[in-house]
Amino acid sequence: MVASVEPASFRDPSGRVFYRDGQVFRGLSPVAAQDWRALAATKFFANAVKAGKITATEEAEKTDEWDVVLKHERIPFISYPFEWSFAMLRDAALLHLDLLQAALAEGLTSKDGSAYNLQWHGASPVFIDVGSFEPARPGEPWAGYRQFCQTMLYPLMLQSHLDLDFQPWLRASVDGVEPARMRKLFGGARRFKAGVLKHVHLHDAVQSRNARSSTGEVRAELRDAGFSEELVKATVRAIQKLVRGLDWQPPASHWTAYQQTCTYSDADRAAKVEFVEAALPAKSNLILDLGANDGTYSRIAAKRSDYVVAVESDAAVVDKLYRDLRDEGERRVLPIVMDLADPSPGIGWRGRERASFEQRAGADAVLALAVIHHLAIGRNVPLPEIVDWLAALGERVVVEFVEPADPMAKRLLANKPEGLFPDYRRDVFEKLLGERFTVEHRAELPSGTRTLYCGVRRAG
Amino acid sequence: MRLAYLDAGSGSLIVQAVVAGAAGMAVAVKLYWRRLTGRFRRRADAPTDND
Repeated sequence: MVASVEPASFRDPSGRVFYRDGQVFRGLSPVAAQDWRALAATKFFANAVKAGKITATEEAEKTDEWDVVLKHERIPFISYPFEWSFAMLRDAALLHLDLLQAALAEGLTSKDGSAYNLQWHGASPVFIDVGSFEPARPGEPWAGYRQFCQTMLYPLMLQSHLDLDFQPWLRASVDGVEPARMRKLFGGARRFKAGVLKHVHLHDAVQSRNARSSTGEVRAELRDAGFSEELVKATVRAIQKLVRGLDWQPPASHWTAYQQTCTYSDADRAAKVEFVEAALPAKSNLILDLGANDGTYSRIAAKRSDYVVAVESDAAVVDKLYRDLRDEGERRVLPIVMDLADPSPGIGWRGRERASFEQRAGADAVLALAVIHHLAIGRNVPLPEIVDWLAALGERVVVEFVEPADPMAKRLLANKPEGLFPDYRRDVFEKLLGERFTVEHRAELPSGTRTLYCGVRRAG
Repeated sequence: MRLAYLDAGSGSLIVQAVVAGAAGMAVAVKLYWRRLTGRFRRRADAPTDND
């Protein structure tokens, strides 16, 4: 089978990630191969792999093109930092720093500091960019510091210090938030919030004053002035302390508002759980739970699937779900932040460097419970479009249709001119669903305004 | 010499000395002091119109 190259792995030309027969490989140039040998000889690497903190890696058969070929374990679902919640980004950042600290203790460093170096096993972060480690050069600061600031520290500061969701900032730019932009957001007394003076204001000021000096010159100057290994370690410790101190809790009013969006009778809830349990296949690789809310159905799905991605647009809800899953040690349910009416696009170079949500989906089953009315009425997405989209995401669908007479649908309809959605009817939805899926089960919930369907995608 | 693939940013390298604490601050001061004295030295060495 022909290998396909990972579109995001071009930034570091000393290696390339590619896929063959459904497996993940990393080709290494002669220089990168030396770095790999140095890494493979360290204790921290073996320990981190064993603990699941660095992706499992072994040497594979060599090809003509590369000096060394590594085989990595496959990550069940690739997600991006702009889809993570605050606590997820914070835990990912702390893992990056912990690994860097452990590497420094054994004479290695990381040549970058990107949030994209990390992925997830459910609610556990895992470092995937094994090519990032290299022997440290004495007297040189951490090369990944700026990238770390832009893709992890600054987004965390935005959320923690300003209560501003960081996801749109990371989605807007694959390189994250620049110091100059941060500086504008942290004017006045905000500059005295933890870490802001040094990592934002001073950082940007020094950067603009040294714009004409090359990093090679500055490295030599720092070495001559006595910059040492110990100082690199002290820098990392200082950043660790800062990140540990950053926290975020949504305002209490957020939860009060959120409660009002969930209207279910106990009878409806029980019938729904029963239907979902019966509708899911006994075994699957990946299930997407769209509009996952508190993760109730993701947890049910996880009993039948190797992996579940819980997609929810409310970043605070995802953050709470993540903290719960993390505390339970869950490694098969990955919560992500995404607005279903505006799913993650492809970003970076040619819009392909980081794939769109739809390209990454390919699920065995999709749960779309209590979401269709939000898309159709709340966001004006035509029903045929919604059904097409579901068919693009997975083989099997478990979907709930909420009739216009339902209290929740009524509330959504009240915000739109009367008669705007004449086609938002159960019979229309059933017809559309039947065109794309073979409907296997159908059940009306006791309240009488909600119907559940389970369908298998038709070929072609 | 091996060069990093990533532009680490010259300012991002210097600011780390300050982040590192007091000992790092001393390195930053030394770096700027050397730049300052280096500039005077260069000026003193520079050829004048009379040469």
